[in-house]
Amino acid sequence: MSASRIRFFSLLRREVNRFLKIKRQTVGAPLLETFLYISVFGAALGSRIDKLHGIDYVVFIVPGLIMMAWATNAFSNNSSSILQQKFLRAIDDQLSSPASPIQLLLAFSLGGFLRGMTVATLTFIAASILIGVPVEHVLVLIPALFLVGFFFAQMGVLIGVRAEQFDDVSFAQTFVLQPLIFLGGVFYSASLLPEPFQTITHFNPVYYMIGLVRYGFLGYSDTNIALSLLFLTAATAALFAFNLRLFNRGWKLRA
Amino acid sequence: MDAAALQIEDLSKVYPTGTEALRGVSLEIPQGDFFGLLGPNGAGKSTLIHCTTGLAMPSGGTIRIFGHDAVEHYEPARAAVGLAPQDPNLDQFLTVAETLDYHGGYFGMPRHERRERTTELLETFSLTGKRDDRTRTLSGGMKRRLLLARALMHRPRLLILDEPTAGVDVELRLELWHYVQRINAEGTTILLTTHYLEEAEQLCDRVAFINDGQIVAQGTSPELAAQYGVSSLEDAYLELVGRKELSRAHIQADVA
Repeated sequence: MSASRIRFFSLLRREVNRFLKIKRQTVGAPLLETFLYISVFGAALGSRIDKLHGIDYVVFIVPGLIMMAWATNAFSNNSSSILQQKFLRAIDDQLSSPASPIQLLLAFSLGGFLRGMTVATLTFIAASILIGVPVEHVLVLIPALFLVGFFFAQMGVLIGVRAEQFDDVSFAQTFVLQPLIFLGGVFYSASLLPEPFQTITHFNPVYYMIGLVRYGFLGYSDTNIALSLLFLTAATAALFAFNLRLFNRGWKLRA
Repeated sequence: MDAAALQIEDLSKVYPTGTEALRGVSLEIPQGDFFGLLGPNGAGKSTLIHCTTGLAMPSGGTIRIFGHDAVEHYEPARAAVGLAPQDPNLDQFLTVAETLDYHGGYFGMPRHERRERTTELLETFSLTGKRDDRTRTLSGGMKRRLLLARALMHRPRLLILDEPTAGVDVELRLELWHYVQRINAEGTTILLTTHYLEEAEQLCDRVAFINDGQIVAQGTSPELAAQYGVSSLEDAYLELVGRKELSRAHIQADVA
């Protein structure tokens, strides 16, 4: 293996090792949280809600929960990992190594991406056992989930690099990420909303992400699939390019 | 002719806050040298080190490490440098052995080489018994040892020690002195910043004084003393910082 590959895999191994060392917090807690959502919104409240677009309510919300698990874990892992390392200046060990900006960015990004994928996969397995979840369009589902995971991994990197204190990360998570996800239609179909909320929802990027993932699992979506995929690909590529530019400049990483 | 271990020309650094930390610094450290960089707090020592190791982006000038430009060709330049920083910046999620292993990985060392080097360095720095302990559980002295071991992990040709003995006990200080003298004798170039003038006097072949972002004098300890018209490196330093009333000779005269 070349020195460059060893370097990249060491950077990535460090990120994966970090979340595995605290797996009760990084994997166990999000799994429990998703299980509680399924129990409360699906089993308890869902039994009183009629089918949505011909699909049982508890099944209808599972794609959104899987997407939410991937998105929030990718985001929180990367933002916390980078901020912690910046805070302790432990990141200097990586920054003073011969690793290139793109290697650093990819390693930080993929750490959260893999944590999100782990939690989302476990959520899918648990939901499949508990309630049975179909997979209607796997060729849409896999690229959609990968793009969502990578998009939020990039968001996490951006917030982690920008953050000066832990409050900055929790602010982004609580006041930006969570509202976008919850109001994007995880627990309902946007087509049921009255105006002007239905139109407002169309300006929420998470709405299109949920639409894609729901189509991949259930074969139903409120959104145009091709346009949503195109939009998500463009948004992810733009965010990655933006982060790479920051890493090349060393913004908030190198003095 | 071999390229200098470190060649800095007209280096400047202005932070986004507007602080001008380095103002046209030029410095050359030949291969195999043990070089001391002395100056008061805020003189620019750490900024110079950060620019050399890629932790800060220079605003102007050039830095060459064994002939490689530290900005344009940072990969071979950084691969040749090991840094033991002033403040312990160990990753708290890692064990002692993992700290060395990951560092070796960041510098492209294959696994079997990392394993051998980790065992060797843990033995050298009396950390074998702590290899599986998390770094946050180490004492201050052990953290210092581990920082030095980490800096040496990838066998750098230029070792930068930023106040390595600050706050350590006499025994450990002497232990570290012996070790860095040994690796210098084996060919590693060393750049040392310290506030302990006797440390610089005893260890360094040559010393530079930096003040207000500029190199104001450099040479051997006797040369610097002669340049300031005093008898020791300490007195030369006190002349530099404008505190000659603190010199031992001055104080003894006052007491008498």
